[in-house]
Order: sequence, then C-alpha cells, then structure tokens
Amino acid sequence: MSPGTLSNRIRVLRFENDEMSQTELGRRIGLTRQTLAAIEAGKYSPSLEAAFRIAEVFQVDLQQVFQWNSEGVGR
Amino acid sequence: MSYREKLAWLSLGAMALTFGPYFAIAGRASAMDRPMPNLQLLWLFAIAAVVQVVVQGAGRFWLRHQERLEGGLQPADERDRAIEYRSVRADYGVLIAGMILVGCVMPFNSGGWRIVNAALAMIVAAEVVHYATVVVSYRRYA
Repeated sequence: MSPGTLSNRIRVLRFENDEMSQTELGRRIGLTRQTLAAIEAGKYSPSLEAAFRIAEVFQVDLQQVFQWNSEGVGR
Repeated sequence: MSYREKLAWLSLGAMALTFGPYFAIAGRASAMDRPMPNLQLLWLFAIAAVVQVVVQGAGRFWLRHQERLEGGLQPADERDRAIEYRSVRADYGVLIAGMILVGCVMPFNSGGWRIVNAALAMIVAAEVVHYATVVVSYRRYA
C-alpha cells in the first residue's frame, strides 16, 4: 500500500456557505462537532458514506472536498 | 472535549479515587504478612464500591446536565463507535490474560483473598486500559 495523506477543503467550503458552523454541518450529516473538527484537521478519516454526505451538503463532487495526496506518484 | 471523553476521564478518576486506596491498603496488609480480617476487607471493598457508584452517578448526572445546557446530548457517531471498538479490543486482552493468571495459575500457590483481590485488580486494570484507550484515542484523533 503506497503511503499518502488525505486532505480536505471543508473549512473553505463552510466559509463559502455562509460560514456554516461545524455544529450545523455535523447536525446535517449525523456527526458530532468534535468529529468534524477532527476531520477538518486531518486527524480522522471519515467513512465513505460520511464523505459523500459532506459533499452532498455543499453540493459539490467528492474530489472537491477530499483530495488524496499519494507520496508514491512521480517516483 | 467530547461528552464520551469526559465520561472516560470521570471513570478513570473514580477508579483512582476508590480502588487506588483499596488496593493500597489491602496490598500493604498482604505484603506485611498480616492479612486483614475477612469482615474488615469486605467493608473496605463495600466502601470502595459504594463510593465508586456515587462518584460515577453524580458525575454522569452533572455531565449530562452540562451537555443539555450546551445544546443537547448528541448520539454516538462513527468516530465514537470506532474508538469504543478499539478500547473494547484493548481491554479484552488484559481481562483474558488476567483471568487466565488468576483462575489457572494462582490457585496453585495462593488462596482466599489474594485470589479475590487479584481478580478484582485484573478487572480494574482492564477498565483502566479501556478508558485510557478512549482518552488517548480522542486526544490522537481530535
């Protein structure tokens, strides 16, 4: 398995959606505020279902929310 | 700090407050080869158990009240469940190892209260591992 990191743009997307709070986003997708903070900070990788739910709230594609940065690419 | 992490801290504190002194007193008496009388040890255990229930009950009541004031208690989500699963897996190993030691090894060279206290110590150790894993997991993935 090649190493890599998962980054996300949730903070930016929240800002672009009327500064939506973590609590409000969490309420809409069934996650706690603490879990959303952990996801935003890149310390917890959400399930595929939660990731799709987040993208659905912002009405964007999954790739616009989460990006996989593979360290093996280009070597 | 999430509600479930606060609960874990409460449980760790309650165990340190109750079973810490219990094992210190019982262990010291046992190490000095002056075992405490049965009734005295039973009372000591009863006090530790009752204080444990009272501290946990009052603490949980207060934490729930605080959560309600801050917008209501949220149900466990996927991260809470993953952390719970990880901590149960960790404490199960400690509990099984402890029970094998207490049930299969100790009867050959110990008896009475030593076995009872060793079994209690293993249960408490498993609980400590459980809640410590919860706290570390929330810290690491928070």
